[in-house]
Amino acid sequence: MKRWWIQPLVRLLAAMSLPFVVPAVITGFIWALPGDPASLICPPHICGGTEALADRWNLNDGAIHFFLGWMSDAVRLDFGNSWRLHQGLPVLELLQTAIPATLSLIGIAAFMLIAGAVAATKGWLPRQIDPFLRVVGLVPALVLALAGAAFIELTFGFGSFSEGGRLARLLTGAAVLGFADGAFTGAALGSRATFELEANQRYVGMAVLRGESTQANTFPNVAPALIGQMRARIIHLLSGAVVVEVVLRIDGIGSLLWGGTLRQDFGVVLAAGTLFAVVSAGLLLLQAVLEAMVAIHVRRAPDGVRTDTPAEVCG
Amino acid sequence: MSRQRWMIVAAASLSMLLLAALFSPEHLGQIRLDLVLQGPLDVLPFGTDTRGRSLVDYATQGASVVAAPAFMAGLLVALFGVAGGLLRCQGSEWVNALIQAFSEVVGALPRMVVILVVALLLPRDHRSLYPLALAWALLSAPGAMDEAAAVAVRLGGARFVEALRAHGFSAPRIYLVHVVGHNLRPVVVRQGAETMMAVVFLEIALSYLALAENQPSFTHPDSLKSWADLLKLGYPSLIPSLDYPSGHALGLALGLLGLVAVMTIALGRAARAR
Repeated sequence: MKRWWIQPLVRLLAAMSLPFVVPAVITGFIWALPGDPASLICPPHICGGTEALADRWNLNDGAIHFFLGWMSDAVRLDFGNSWRLHQGLPVLELLQTAIPATLSLIGIAAFMLIAGAVAATKGWLPRQIDPFLRVVGLVPALVLALAGAAFIELTFGFGSFSEGGRLARLLTGAAVLGFADGAFTGAALGSRATFELEANQRYVGMAVLRGESTQANTFPNVAPALIGQMRARIIHLLSGAVVVEVVLRIDGIGSLLWGGTLRQDFGVVLAAGTLFAVVSAGLLLLQAVLEAMVAIHVRRAPDGVRTDTPAEVCG
Repeated sequence: MSRQRWMIVAAASLSMLLLAALFSPEHLGQIRLDLVLQGPLDVLPFGTDTRGRSLVDYATQGASVVAAPAFMAGLLVALFGVAGGLLRCQGSEWVNALIQAFSEVVGALPRMVVILVVALLLPRDHRSLYPLALAWALLSAPGAMDEAAAVAVRLGGARFVEALRAHGFSAPRIYLVHVVGHNLRPVVVRQGAETMMAVVFLEIALSYLALAENQPSFTHPDSLKSWADLLKLGYPSLIPSLDYPSGHALGLALGLLGLVAVMTIALGRAARAR
């Protein structure tokens, strides 16, 4: 394909637009609700000062004014205050408390997936466990999280909120996130199947006859697909984190987002949703860069290969 | 197992789900305090809850909450998959670029964030799984379209269509029978079935999380019970020190989830290529 750069370019544009699209859509939704936003948070018949509240939270001049104001503050890391969940507390403070837990959770789970993919591709993961992995992959995050919560309860009892209990929650949560909804199964079996399919190509056979290794030849060609799959799986982990954090009582971004949704705290939901979008955009950007690097690498002629045409050779 | 057997399993599990939804009562049965938390051997077929009501009502009401929205979402994703495959057969670069742009933006959205934002908008007195299932279907659509498009590319895309035209086949026969019926079918049916399963699991997760915080669910009115209520009822039985004999509710919930998983696998296998 000559125009290899189109796909990374589209990804790049999507990555750049995502952190703006998500808060814009949420803002649009807030204004789509019946009644004005200030009255939703503070109904005039039960709560005085609705107008002052609207003025303070920039809600009195329409959706576009609110969105632009919120975005310009967000760029300076000012996400305003929580509207309902922890009323009056700065959302940035809530996020700062929650980010390390979610990062650790996602990081450990993502490491599990990468390790599983490498182990399966290298043949370190015996094929005999494939049926077991397929069955485990069908179990939803909620069921595994409940089993994890019961395990924590049985092991730590009243001490489950101690330092050790907290660490156990985090590790159990990461394990749940890694195995639930087919994450580990997909990473391990999917990567192995992709490599095996590519290894059957004719050029790989020729390379092996030349004394080259199979993986050195297949990897650059399967890399774009693997990078895309891994990105999708990490985004899936972000979604699963909401369930795992709430069930296992891990104070992360997912838990914050859920609390904000239940209590219609748009301030928290806007900030948490935008943070998820920024992470997702970062992954998309990483995918675009890696894809471009792989595309340039596979198009570069190796040393010692003559690229002149037969006519030039003869002439 | 042969395709025919998978078809029988798929039809049986789908019928069970739909029949349970169809015959679900509007309200739970009468309270019987003399039959509190009885096991399936004492009160057939699934035992009772903390107020002596049969768990059959929980199972059927839960089915009625998920069956139609999940089916709608599955059908929608299958249709998106068909559209993705057919558009790739047209061979238009512009259309492909537009589809890719749509897929990139929608596929990059963390699904749970979108679902929670949609849930945030639902009026408290009109709670239903339909909007959430629809949102889930839209978020799943790019994956289905991509996979169906990949199948169309392997098939030869526009050249395959041209070749069949040269053989004198009519357009409906080429697109509906050869492209969709013979080649896209395994992919779109499997994608649709997986979306159905995902919507069922989503409903249970959202309802359980709301129950855990003593809040009303986003997915159904308070008068109905979800399968998440069975999980909530059965969870304490996992902790022996609580001495709470509700393991039968947990078993029933897991059995129902298993039924949905079996239905998904069976639908996928039944639709696979010969």
